[in-house]
Amino acid sequence: MSPMKLCVPGFKDSFGEPCPPPPGARALLSYTPALKHTHICERLCSTEDCIPGTGTDLRHGYIFATLAGYVLRKNEGEELPVISVVRETEAQLLPDVGAIVTCKVTSINPRFAKVHILYVGSTPLKDRFRGTIRREDVRATEKDKVETYKSFRPGDIVLAKVISLGDVQSNYLLTTAENELGVVVAHSEAGAQMVPISWCEMQCPRTHAKEFRKVARVQPEYLQA
Amino acid sequence: MDTVHARFKEKIGEVLLPGDVFSFRLPEDGEGDANIKTEKIICGPGLRRNGEEVQVCKSGILRHKQPNLYWIDSQQRRYVPAKGESVIGIVIAKSGDIFKVDVGGSEQASLSYLAFEGATKRNRPNVQVGDLVYSQFTIANKDMEPELVCIDSCGRANGMGVFGAEGLLFKVSLGLVRRLLAPQSEIVKDLEKIFPFELVVGMNGRVWVKAKTVQQTLIVANLLETCENMTSQQRQTLFRRVAEGSL
Repeated sequence: MSPMKLCVPGFKDSFGEPCPPPPGARALLSYTPALKHTHICERLCSTEDCIPGTGTDLRHGYIFATLAGYVLRKNEGEELPVISVVRETEAQLLPDVGAIVTCKVTSINPRFAKVHILYVGSTPLKDRFRGTIRREDVRATEKDKVETYKSFRPGDIVLAKVISLGDVQSNYLLTTAENELGVVVAHSEAGAQMVPISWCEMQCPRTHAKEFRKVARVQPEYLQA
Repeated sequence: MDTVHARFKEKIGEVLLPGDVFSFRLPEDGEGDANIKTEKIICGPGLRRNGEEVQVCKSGILRHKQPNLYWIDSQQRRYVPAKGESVIGIVIAKSGDIFKVDVGGSEQASLSYLAFEGATKRNRPNVQVGDLVYSQFTIANKDMEPELVCIDSCGRANGMGVFGAEGLLFKVSLGLVRRLLAPQSEIVKDLEKIFPFELVVGMNGRVWVKAKTVQQTLIVANLLETCENMTSQQRQTLFRRVAEGSL
């Protein structure tokens, strides 16, 4: 029985060898002939050959894998190629700070609105990330007079910007405090899609009732007739 | 052309069912355009506009108020919270900084500790579980939990707050509550002549009564419950009989 070795991704263990993969890791991977598979803590190459990308870590002059997945080597011009490890063949686009995201409002509260993030930029996401738009982040002016019920309703599609990634328990923090951000598509209480009239009102074409929303000013070239 | 008003007028006072439609399609010929005057009609509760039609969504009697307001008077007992309405609530629980209050709707409403006159973080109001509270809605819509306050916009209680050390709380239909709250309510005037009592009416169909003795309280409560389905003449004869009987 070999003694249990302490295995921490990225570090060498007491024997000076890179830590072996955790038991059962190999069973989770599937082989594809095009990409080389790798497991956690495997030493990929030295810093002189490649630049570390996502899913890798730089220690003691060598590049180690921190994810179990596939190794991708990308050549970018004259610099050294970038080596990265991805879980799936297509890279998952994560919302980053400052990115414009499209989300759908799931519930509202006097203090904030909870949303599901659907698109980052123009790329759809496979999983739905959760986001929060706080009451003070809805508008740039008159922040304390904001009423969530007059800005968003459940089911609205909203353009927002990420201000913080949040920590483990909290969601992405988003803001709509710009003219181009806010509600893009909303349905009235009668069920018809509403038409924006001003930055704070939308009108239902069927019942002609006006409802309050924080409307986004979409550039004319993006509007379809 | 008074087609719009005429169509409504012929149905005033009649019982309508959900699904009945008033359609106002304009005539196709060119001559009709010159004679059409645009009329404005306000659709009250129970009526809804759908393109060129007005549909009825509640069953009841069509009522009219000058100059152009039409609505359906329905006998409904289920209360739906609406902003600005004053209701009688029962305190169910205390949690953190808020009280949970039952108002008879689909959700419990929340009432903050600080929403009482003269309440600060150190000076908490004296409200226990099971107390009756007369308060107003500040937030009441289908997407959020309703919120109540016991002060008005100036910060004064204005008659709101905890009440009801004794007395009786009972439930009536919303139509009767609206009749009781009308400015010159005949029911209340007739009842006053029998004997003095205290009355609190909440728009959620709850009424609280207190008279000098328990027997008088029960008599007033029973009279209010029976007034719902009586005409004013039947009511007056009944009240007269009770007044003679009790004196």
